[in-house]
Amino acid sequence: MSSFLLSAYILVWPILAAGVLLVLTHGVWKDVVDARREGESLV
Amino acid sequence: MHQLSLTTVLLLLFGFYALSFLMTLKIGQKKESADGYMTSNGAIGFGMSASSMTATWVWAASIYAAASSGYKYGLSGAIHYGFWGALMILFIYPFGRRFREVAPNAHTLAEIMHARHGRCSQMMLALSNVLGSIISLMVNFTAAGALVSMLSPLSFLQGVLVAAVGVLSYTLWSGFRASVLTDSVQLLAMILAAVIIIPFMFFALGGPSLFVEGWHRLDVEQANFFSKNALLEQGAPFFIAVLAYAIGNQTIAQRLFAVREDLIKRTFITATIGYGSIVIGLGMLGFLALLGGISPSDGDLNNLVPQMAATYLPPALLCLFFILIIGSLSSTADSDLSALSSIMMTDIYGKNLARGKPNPTLMIWIGRITMIVVTALGVAFAYLRLDILSMLVFVGALWGAIVFPVIVSLYWDRVSNLAFTTSVLAAFLVFLLVRFDVVPLTGWLGGVLEIFGSVGAGVVFGLMAFGFFGKRVGLLVGLIGTVAVLPWAWQQMRDYQVLLSSLLAYGVSAVVCAGVSLFNRERFDFDVIGERVTNFQSATL
Repeated sequence: MSSFLLSAYILVWPILAAGVLLVLTHGVWKDVVDARREGESLV
Repeated sequence: MHQLSLTTVLLLLFGFYALSFLMTLKIGQKKESADGYMTSNGAIGFGMSASSMTATWVWAASIYAAASSGYKYGLSGAIHYGFWGALMILFIYPFGRRFREVAPNAHTLAEIMHARHGRCSQMMLALSNVLGSIISLMVNFTAAGALVSMLSPLSFLQGVLVAAVGVLSYTLWSGFRASVLTDSVQLLAMILAAVIIIPFMFFALGGPSLFVEGWHRLDVEQANFFSKNALLEQGAPFFIAVLAYAIGNQTIAQRLFAVREDLIKRTFITATIGYGSIVIGLGMLGFLALLGGISPSDGDLNNLVPQMAATYLPPALLCLFFILIIGSLSSTADSDLSALSSIMMTDIYGKNLARGKPNPTLMIWIGRITMIVVTALGVAFAYLRLDILSMLVFVGALWGAIVFPVIVSLYWDRVSNLAFTTSVLAAFLVFLLVRFDVVPLTGWLGGVLEIFGSVGAGVVFGLMAFGFFGKRVGLLVGLIGTVAVLPWAWQQMRDYQVLLSSLLAYGVSAVVCAGVSLFNRERFDFDVIGERVTNFQSATL
């Protein structure tokens, strides 16, 4: 297996994690905004 | 190896726990609701619930064990830990929807079993969770002690105590609500750390040239992505154990009961990808260590990741790594405290000791006292420092005996209390006999056990298919799975004792539960569960 493919095999996981980080950050922010707008507790 | 100074490590620890504590002050109520203390309002949004699900699953042990797997099994090692762990999250959501459908106001899964079968099955589930969560607490506190003693001048005991007091301080007052709130911030910090540390470590060890220079250090199995050893010794036993964990564990069920019902699928899919990417990514550090010729200090694989961090990361990233581990163990430990308090509040007090008249105020104090007691137990047990991965497999197999009876109880109206109880006890007994070498795995007995083990494999495949595609497909896949595994299992599965014992837990419980249920002529009305499982707070108003 080439070094390029093996490097991609290692580095794809943090890239995927970064994507999840963006999705969750947006999700948490939306939850906070929704809770404030409706005057309810976040949890 | 670098070490953090005493001042730095104290600032990090107290900063982390002080921030968590201050966050919980925002949601603290002078008079907490008993239901809120256990499952919040049952309508938590996507961001908070997905973060909390992921944070609870990513614990310090999963990071260390994934790296250990990468180190031991090479190319596919981290996958054989993280991928199966992630898959378990996906596996539970169809069943989770069913749990919410039959009991929208549930606090624990054991409470649903109480409504379905009565006290005996409830206690089996509740006590297995008490055991599992106390072990989990112990493992997380141990990880804190080990990390602190390796990376700072503080001792193991001091690390354990700071983590225990820190987690307790922010979880004690608001319970589950505090756990979910802090999980979100802790997880975002953990992901950020993982995203930075993994590539940094890769390039610090040599980048792509590491594969050229270090490939000779891998044996044939370690260099093979489809390694049979990795699958049979790590992947398969862990897969079976974590599937049971997903169903049996209260920390997961609790989040399931708390998320807004229409967000269950989205939440679980996001948590699956989140868990997989973080844990597999960090598990790759073990593979990199193998390529780099790094040996774990004292021969202990649990030291591998902290040791690499201390060797290759600059001070700022070492602090980030420290937060990553403290965040992972704290988010799981606070979930364990919430789970244990809910079990004591609902299953011990609410459904039994209160004799039908639970006092919500007293309930909350029972939950808080439980948290204090189990934290003390977790600290005390942390001294044992048992092997993390083996314990995880053991607890998973314990729940393996419960998975089939729990699931079919909520779909099949013929399952009786007798069927549930006898199947769990029989399966757990057989598991113990095989796992701890009480019976010889030879001759005809070995063959019989392998047949039941094959049935267990069929049950696992069948349950997964059943969750997503329904009864007919589930039964068909289960049958095909059993028949497909049997030729391989015959005369061979006995060589993989961990795998065999775990599969037996599924196989024996399924055969006994189905067999006894077929003789039952009574039918159960599932609507009764929703009537029996109600909110404690509103019930007393």
